[in-house]
Amino acid sequence: MLEAAIAIAAIAVGAGLAMGIGAVGPAVGEGYVAGKAVEAIARQPEAENSIRTTMVLGQAISESTGIYSLAVALLLIFFMGLPLANRLLELLG
Amino acid sequence: MESKVVFDILGIPVTENVVWTWGIMAVLIAASFLLSRNLKRVPTGFQHVTELIVDGLEGLVVRVMGSRGRVFVPFIIALALFILLANFASILPGGVSPTASLSTTAALAVLVLLVSHGAEIKQKGLKTYIKGYFSPYFILFPLNVIGEIAKVLSHAFRLFGNIFGGGIILSIIYMFVPVVIPGILNIWFGFFQGIIQAAVFVMLAIVYIQVRLE
Repeated sequence: MLEAAIAIAAIAVGAGLAMGIGAVGPAVGEGYVAGKAVEAIARQPEAENSIRTTMVLGQAISESTGIYSLAVALLLIFFMGLPLANRLLELLG
Repeated sequence: MESKVVFDILGIPVTENVVWTWGIMAVLIAASFLLSRNLKRVPTGFQHVTELIVDGLEGLVVRVMGSRGRVFVPFIIALALFILLANFASILPGGVSPTASLSTTAALAVLVLLVSHGAEIKQKGLKTYIKGYFSPYFILFPLNVIGEIAKVLSHAFRLFGNIFGGGIILSIIYMFVPVVIPGILNIWFGFFQGIIQAAVFVMLAIVYIQVRLE
């Protein structure tokens, strides 16, 4: 019983850490891309359309790692944490 | 994470996702049938909207792939409109976004994979296609295969993660503040994120096809 409770707590902490730490990289990267795009538009306002397209594409690709950590967190919660918690609740009655 | 089962057909469960997917498909087919009738040389009324959508997406495809990309324009337009409407579906009361389910986005990503590889085989021939996996060196074969798999995975998970994550944030905020703010956030996640994520998915699809054809 206690072991299951500890496992659930560890899964919850792990999911939170996976999302929290995993969000740092994409946030910094996307902010950097947006900043550079603002600089480029300030220098060449007539190229705004193609700069915006490239910016969104670059941000989408650098977002991948953040999405991976979201996937890991979701897997931890829905496929490991929830079944365990349900089993524990059944045992407790 | 599983969606609700609405009804059964011959023992096969039909979930909410499937119902909304087919609903969106019906809307798209009806709209394209109605809008493509009575086309005039000088556009009037709704023909402006149709031309705006077709011209915009065709321009995007041609800008990235050159004029040989014109073959893929119908596919890209269908993909874009379906994902856009699927993202908008959650704005409706009781609406379910089919793109908030990994099954839908994985199917779309695999579709893009099949189209891009099929186009490459058709353009370069099967021999050059297989040879591509062993270039530049024979030993890089596993790396090339993993690269292709990672492309599909990240393509599917990007759309799914963004739409599903938006839904989770919305439901958490709804627990604390049940009025006004969830409505505003719903429009933000539905419209703004919906448009951006649809654009990103479509642009990546175009780029993936272009990369295989080079």
